[in-house]
Amino acid sequence: MALVSADTKISELLTELHQLIKQTQEERSRSEHNLLNIQKTHERMQTENKTSPYYRSKLRGLYTTAKADAEAECSILRHALDKIAEIKSLLEERRIAAKMAGVYSDSDPPRKTMRRGVLMTLLQQSAMTLPLWIGKPGDSPPPLCGAMPASSDYVAKPGDKVAARVKAVDGDEQWILAEVVSYSHSTNKYEVDDIDEEGKERHTLSRRRIIPLPQWKANPETDPEALFSKDQLVLALYPQTTCFYRALIHTPPHRPQDDYSVLFEDTSYADGYSPPLNVAQRYVVACKENKKK
Amino acid sequence: MADPSTQASLQPRPQQTQSSGTTGSNSMPGSANCDPARPGLSQQQRASQKKAQVRAFPRAKKLEKLGVFSACKANDSCKCNGWKNPHPPTATRMDLQQQAASLSEPCRSCGHALADHVSHLENVSEEEINRLLGMVVDVENLFMSVHKEEDTDTKQVYFYLFKLLRKCILQMSQPIVEGSLGSPPFEKPNIEQGVLNFVQYKFSHLPPKERQTMFELSKMFLLCLNYWKLETPTQFRQRSQKDDGTAYKVDYTRWLCYCHVPQSNDSLPRYETTHVFGRSLLKSIFTVTRRQLLEKFRVEKDKLLPEKRTLILTHFPKFLSMLEEEIYGENSPIWEADFTMPASEGAQLGHPTAVISPAAVSSTPSFSKSNSCSTSLGTMSLDAVVAEPKTGEKRKLPEALTLEDAKRIRVMGDIPMELVNEVMMTITDPAAMLGPETSLLSANAARDETARLEERRGIIEFHVIGNSLSQKSNKKILMWLVGLQNVFSHQLPRMPKEYITRLVFDPKHKTLALIKDGRVIGGICFRMFPTQGFTEIVFCAVTSNEQVKGYGTHLMNHLKEYHIKHSILYFLTYADEYAIGYFKKQGFSKDIKVPKSRYLGYIKDYEGATLMECELNPRIPYTELSHIIKRQKEIIKKLIERKQSQIRKVYPGLTCFKEGVRQIPVESIPGIRETGWKPSGKEKCKELKDPDLLYNMLKNLLAQIKTHPDAWPFMEPVKKAEAHDYYEIIRFPIDLRTMTERLKNRYYVTKKLFIADLQRIITNCREYNPPDSEYCRCANTLEKFFYFKLKEGGLIDK
Repeated sequence: MALVSADTKISELLTELHQLIKQTQEERSRSEHNLLNIQKTHERMQTENKTSPYYRSKLRGLYTTAKADAEAECSILRHALDKIAEIKSLLEERRIAAKMAGVYSDSDPPRKTMRRGVLMTLLQQSAMTLPLWIGKPGDSPPPLCGAMPASSDYVAKPGDKVAARVKAVDGDEQWILAEVVSYSHSTNKYEVDDIDEEGKERHTLSRRRIIPLPQWKANPETDPEALFSKDQLVLALYPQTTCFYRALIHTPPHRPQDDYSVLFEDTSYADGYSPPLNVAQRYVVACKENKKK
Repeated sequence: MADPSTQASLQPRPQQTQSSGTTGSNSMPGSANCDPARPGLSQQQRASQKKAQVRAFPRAKKLEKLGVFSACKANDSCKCNGWKNPHPPTATRMDLQQQAASLSEPCRSCGHALADHVSHLENVSEEEINRLLGMVVDVENLFMSVHKEEDTDTKQVYFYLFKLLRKCILQMSQPIVEGSLGSPPFEKPNIEQGVLNFVQYKFSHLPPKERQTMFELSKMFLLCLNYWKLETPTQFRQRSQKDDGTAYKVDYTRWLCYCHVPQSNDSLPRYETTHVFGRSLLKSIFTVTRRQLLEKFRVEKDKLLPEKRTLILTHFPKFLSMLEEEIYGENSPIWEADFTMPASEGAQLGHPTAVISPAAVSSTPSFSKSNSCSTSLGTMSLDAVVAEPKTGEKRKLPEALTLEDAKRIRVMGDIPMELVNEVMMTITDPAAMLGPETSLLSANAARDETARLEERRGIIEFHVIGNSLSQKSNKKILMWLVGLQNVFSHQLPRMPKEYITRLVFDPKHKTLALIKDGRVIGGICFRMFPTQGFTEIVFCAVTSNEQVKGYGTHLMNHLKEYHIKHSILYFLTYADEYAIGYFKKQGFSKDIKVPKSRYLGYIKDYEGATLMECELNPRIPYTELSHIIKRQKEIIKKLIERKQSQIRKVYPGLTCFKEGVRQIPVESIPGIRETGWKPSGKEKCKELKDPDLLYNMLKNLLAQIKTHPDAWPFMEPVKKAEAHDYYEIIRFPIDLRTMTERLKNRYYVTKKLFIADLQRIITNCREYNPPDSEYCRCANTLEKFFYFKLKEGGLIDK
């Protein structure tokens, strides 16, 4: 029953989203006229080669309108983004609920029947669809946006993806990609599932062994400070695996959809680092230990 | 059964019946040792006798004969083009006794002397005179042929040749067939090459003696073809309704001019049919020729030498059937110009370069075009044009192939093609509808789906490359080889780097390289052993950050298609423990079918590694296989849906399995027949007609068995208390009481089921108990007893 109501909720949200997108276009067409006016006024001023008080006050009025228009359009777009976030979280809730109940739909079969290649594609997909943080002017990027660390008392929610430091069977420690199952406030420990359920392992880990993954992408054009910088030591998900390894940032992304280019520590190469490989913002986190083991 | 149509076609042309040198003796049909199958002299023999006769004439007589075909040169205005004897000979014109006409004898038509007609021959050598005389005899023969011939097409060609030879005598020139026919050879590889390739391809694994037999059959077949009379274009058109026969008519005319007529008219240059024609002619004539050949052998079997008789009557039909598959088969390798004979390894290794075309199947017989590249480009090159995946076009090819295959191998209860086509129309590619999200593959997408799409879009490329010591090196290839060496040494850290380098750059090894953005990201290094009939997989790796994308599978599929093209159908490899999983997914198994003697000493042996083998099926387009199967599944699903919408009936589910019945006959499932399901085999028609009869027989039989003194151990199910591990060892327990119950429940709808259960009682007993035990003794006696009873009741054949 819960699943069904989620379905109707999602379709409602989709309808609203659809309307919002239409509104955006209406808003845009409406402001178009004003923008054209501004342009024409500027042209006229150019030809007359003087700035009369008439033009000044006219322009001021026009710009005020344009700003208001832009803000209106912006708020609709933000509203639409909120809807998308809501839909995504509903889908996520449904996925977690299904996982708990052991019920799987066709579109989301149990991991163990999934080919590894498909899992990898899903991981890439999730990195690609990670929302871009769009702040208002003057806002600074929040925690978990790009390279911004979570606050010290942050607790990851069930279903969140994290980097988790686990002990493998052979005793080696490894950072793996995992999903939070629960957090116990009494013991301060997380329960996480290995994302790669081939192992089908559930780990109970202390807080310091968990690094939450970013929940927004940072926009390199507006918030470059929220990105790791060149030569910074990070943990990055090695392409086509579910493990994080130490790496140096080679080049940070230039555009919102770009990946980091990183150099993985790899002793099989003469200089100790792999050739540059691309890793999405979603899978690059700060490396706490600065000393090599 | 003599085919009336072929018989009819043979009748009006007496010269053709002798033309088939088919009796198995290797002597040419025209040679002196007369074949019993050929009554009288062949036309060829007659012609050569006549020529010898004419050439033995005195010079005067020869001149007279040539004068008949020589223009009058008395003055410029005389248009007479042949001296006519004023006293036509009464008896045979060629009578030796007859006096030669005098040179002063005037021509009947122009009145000028014979001398005026033959003046140009005064200083001509005897040899040339004899050559001209040969043409004269041929002209006379052709004249007869033109008259006798009834088929218009053939008549025309005879007449053309007749005129040609006449002109040549007049001008004292060499006869050359001109026009749009082209010049031989008309197709490459020729029929002989193709048939010899076929023998290599199909029988090279046989022991020498049998191989020799097959070789002899192929020689015989070729000989037959060279002397076989082809059907006329008209007959061809009548037989094959679909083909308009234009292409065949051209081939037929070529055959008449270059092969058939020159056989008996040796002044025309002669070519063997099997040397100048290729697969396309063979395709047009094979069905008919085969029928005629086999019929002829049947008719003449008593005249055959005894040792040839068995060869021809037992092996030849099978040989022809196998050949037929290769002639009409879509992707038979025997017609490849670069078909490599396992025997010629040395030559083969000189060309470590080859090209993987996106689909190894060449649908059109455009031999020279598609094959020239691999031979002419030399050792260190590659053909990027061919290797480029052709978008769009590629998709169609394998589908056409599967349909073609389905057409060829008709199965009982097959779905009509129209229905399949109709269903195909309704299956729209779901990916096409989804817009930008197509990169998200469904969870059950095939492993190589992504790789296949990427190849189609040109994101990745596959090339077979290798080093060469004799050829100048191509820088790009060398860069790729270095790239391969790097990928292998990073991905296979336990292999010494020097060792990898040595093999990757060894000219006898080749590597199938996977290229993305101009860089090597993976590859399979292999060594072909054509003489041994297998290829060793030496290294196989994909760089770590490109793994789990299906590249490894797609690489191996390309390698399989490459090998099918080169007629090697076995892969062997020593797989380490991490690689076994990969190779299993690629169809490798630990069961080795290649005999040890074939690979021992050839393959590199690794300690602690497992030898694995993969057998290739030349009919499978491997790179498209998963796609084809996906389509087939979709079609089946649609067909089922259609059927379901036609039959709207729901039966309650079966409950018998809950009651402990392990299996039931399929036909007893309610509703199954309504879906169109038909039981296979013949027993249903025999038995199902009267189920009561069978029931009573089995009831009677079971009662007799139960009263047999040795049946006591099998009367009831084995109790676990008596044999605690019985049910762990015996997976399908059965006993006479259970059988009685099953009989009562009408489970035994066929005798097969009943006999199977009886037999299982015995085998279970033998499996669980030692052979010398009392139980086994009972089982032996009981087995004999019930088989006797079964025979007696007519339930099994005596």
